[in-house]
Amino acid sequence: MLEYFIRRLLLTIPTFIGCTIVVYAIVSTAPGGPLDMQLQALKRGSGGETGTASNVQGQNIPPEAVEELKRFYNFDKPIPVQYMMWLGIMKRDAESFTLKPDEPRLVGNGIRIKAVAGNGGYTIVDADNPSQVLSDWLWETKKMPSGEMKVRIFRQEYSGILNGNFGTSYTYRKPVMELVQSRIPISTQFGIISLVLSYIVCVYLGIQKALRHNSTFDFASSTIVFIAYSVPGWALGAVLLVFFSTESFLPLFPLGGFEDKMYSEFSFIDKVIDRASHFVLPLIAYMIGGFATLTMLMKNSLLDNLSQDYIRTAFAKGIREQRVIWLHAMRNSIIPIAANMGYLIGVFLTGSYLIESVFGIDGIGKLSFEAVVARDYPIVFCFTVISVSVTLVGSILSDLILSLVDPRIRFK
Amino acid sequence: MAASSTSSDGNAGGKQEILTINQRRWRKFKTLKRGYFSLVFLCVLYAISFFLPILINNKALYVSYNGTSYFPAFRDLLDLPLIGPIGGTPFISGETLGQTGNKAEALYRDLQVQYEQEGGANTVVMPLYPYGPIEDISVAGNEPYCGPFESKNNSVPRILGTDDRGRDVFSRMAYGFLISLSFALLVAVIEYIIGVPIGAVMGYFGGWIDIIIQRFMEIWSSLPYLFLIIIIVSIYRPNFGILVVLVSAFAWLGVTAQLRAQFYREKTRDYVAAAISIGVPTWKILIKHILPNSLVPIITFFPFAVVSGISALVSLEFLGFGLAPPTPSWGEMVGVGLREITSGYWWLVLAPLSAMFTTLILIVFIGEGVREAYDPKTFSRLR
Repeated sequence: MLEYFIRRLLLTIPTFIGCTIVVYAIVSTAPGGPLDMQLQALKRGSGGETGTASNVQGQNIPPEAVEELKRFYNFDKPIPVQYMMWLGIMKRDAESFTLKPDEPRLVGNGIRIKAVAGNGGYTIVDADNPSQVLSDWLWETKKMPSGEMKVRIFRQEYSGILNGNFGTSYTYRKPVMELVQSRIPISTQFGIISLVLSYIVCVYLGIQKALRHNSTFDFASSTIVFIAYSVPGWALGAVLLVFFSTESFLPLFPLGGFEDKMYSEFSFIDKVIDRASHFVLPLIAYMIGGFATLTMLMKNSLLDNLSQDYIRTAFAKGIREQRVIWLHAMRNSIIPIAANMGYLIGVFLTGSYLIESVFGIDGIGKLSFEAVVARDYPIVFCFTVISVSVTLVGSILSDLILSLVDPRIRFK
Repeated sequence: MAASSTSSDGNAGGKQEILTINQRRWRKFKTLKRGYFSLVFLCVLYAISFFLPILINNKALYVSYNGTSYFPAFRDLLDLPLIGPIGGTPFISGETLGQTGNKAEALYRDLQVQYEQEGGANTVVMPLYPYGPIEDISVAGNEPYCGPFESKNNSVPRILGTDDRGRDVFSRMAYGFLISLSFALLVAVIEYIIGVPIGAVMGYFGGWIDIIIQRFMEIWSSLPYLFLIIIIVSIYRPNFGILVVLVSAFAWLGVTAQLRAQFYREKTRDYVAAAISIGVPTWKILIKHILPNSLVPIITFFPFAVVSGISALVSLEFLGFGLAPPTPSWGEMVGVGLREITSGYWWLVLAPLSAMFTTLILIVFIGEGVREAYDPKTFSRLR
């Protein structure tokens, strides 16, 4: 059993790598990436007229600058190399300077370094203490267009997602991890609350539907379930927003967002009320996603069990109906519902960029959606990593829950 | 769908009707009123929607000018359901129809008024609802953000107002139905074209092919698919056909998984062993023997595939990554309405979404009916 889950966990590694390769390949080969955007911006900055990229390079922006930019984005390397750098299994340039020989330069850790020529190459030394050779710095010679020889000195390190470095966002100019960390609590709050509420509502409704199978209540609630099944959460959210947040109808709730602008100045009770009123509509939108599946799963699973022999036996023994249902049938009926949890956690944790866009919630979904539009690749990749990991872990979690609640199931 | 199973094999004359299983399913389906009427209603709506250019259009059905007859709206019939921007066909310029100074397409609504004032033999017959889905504020008389029935510049009331660019919401909603449903049907069909053979091969042959494709499918299903489509669309701005393929490329997994399980189960049956032993070629076993016995789960899945196709398209349009503008689209209107939500343009959100909800619910009802017709169990199930 343990062996099975260890094997499952190990198998996620190739899947994870496969997924990231697909996304990385699609995104990296796309034209109009951050480099092109930067070049366009630079060209506009230098007052250029519209033209093709080649004439951009030729006229307005010196080729060294373009090269420097390419190196900054790692676009001077082949895509597989870029990918491995991003993953953190190949070294990438941490710092890079192009200098004249013997020209000192202050670098990241506060020391001044310079490149000294000697025996057919260069030695990188501490400028204030030339006897100290800095061996982690590398060099390469570069011929400038003016014919002058310069040295590019650089230091390399492993710095990828495996080292916890998701890079720096192009648009926010902040580490991606920092951005994501500030957004995750917002998305997960909605996710967890709606997950819990979904289970409470759906399990209860499912049981009632099963017990009153073929009644008017069953028929009426089935219609609601079908509607819930067919309507996407964000679309329902949009309708609710129009009905309950705009002046045209009933302005009961705020127009989206996560909390009031004045939130920090509110008293505790006002805070609770404010947060709750912001949560009502998005929560309904979130919950509708799993509503139909969960309810019908619960109903059918309970109906299935109620028609089993052991239930007939229990009734025949004279056990009270309530006891038969809640103690005997329910324990078996809850199994498929519990197993569904792993998948739903995946759905709820990563948030939905559609629902977050509708309600203007600054969660991780909205962040990554805006990143796609702005071609902010580090955030795009980070979201891919999160989303893929959550999906993979979710499916293992489902099996784990299944084996916990159902002792008959033994994975091999 | 169930409709394909009505083929009758001559059982006329006999006292006791002998029905094939599919005939029995079709009869059962017809007794399920909700699903059956949904199917009829949706089919009728869809059939009508192919004639939208002569029902809802800004081009005239018939123009008689100086003894010559023109049928501008009928030209559009051939444009649909090919979903590029509608109206890219050669047009009749305003000058040929006596609209002085208008070298562009004739403005038929104005023309109607003009002819009436002239009082001659010239006539214009407009469609029932004389507003096109893509004519915007560049046409005189169209104003942006008109509420339902609020437009003062138009003689025929605009039932659902106009959008941000002065385009008629009702007209766009109607054309959006045709486009969304066609899109989803195509996606579902392509999904099956990709998914069925792969699932069949996986289930029947098993072994290495199965393991390799399963690994691949696991990768594919773990990808955040809507997100990836957005990335691809934002980069390449695809047309209708490519978007269909793109969405189906991520949607075939469900079909494949179901068919794989079916083939895996069926291949151990005696009839397959019998077919193998008399030397039936493998492809024939797959197509003629196992496939017909494996269809139940994927037939019942079809309506739900259409539902997710529509949802996917409208979601993409809402985010601004759907079909290229100015294609009539439900999601795009919702996007505009929500962006300007404080201004109270509620019809931009409610009109297209109610159209979408109605369509989706009809299809889910059909799906539920089909499922019940195929399902020997007495209680209803989703999925």
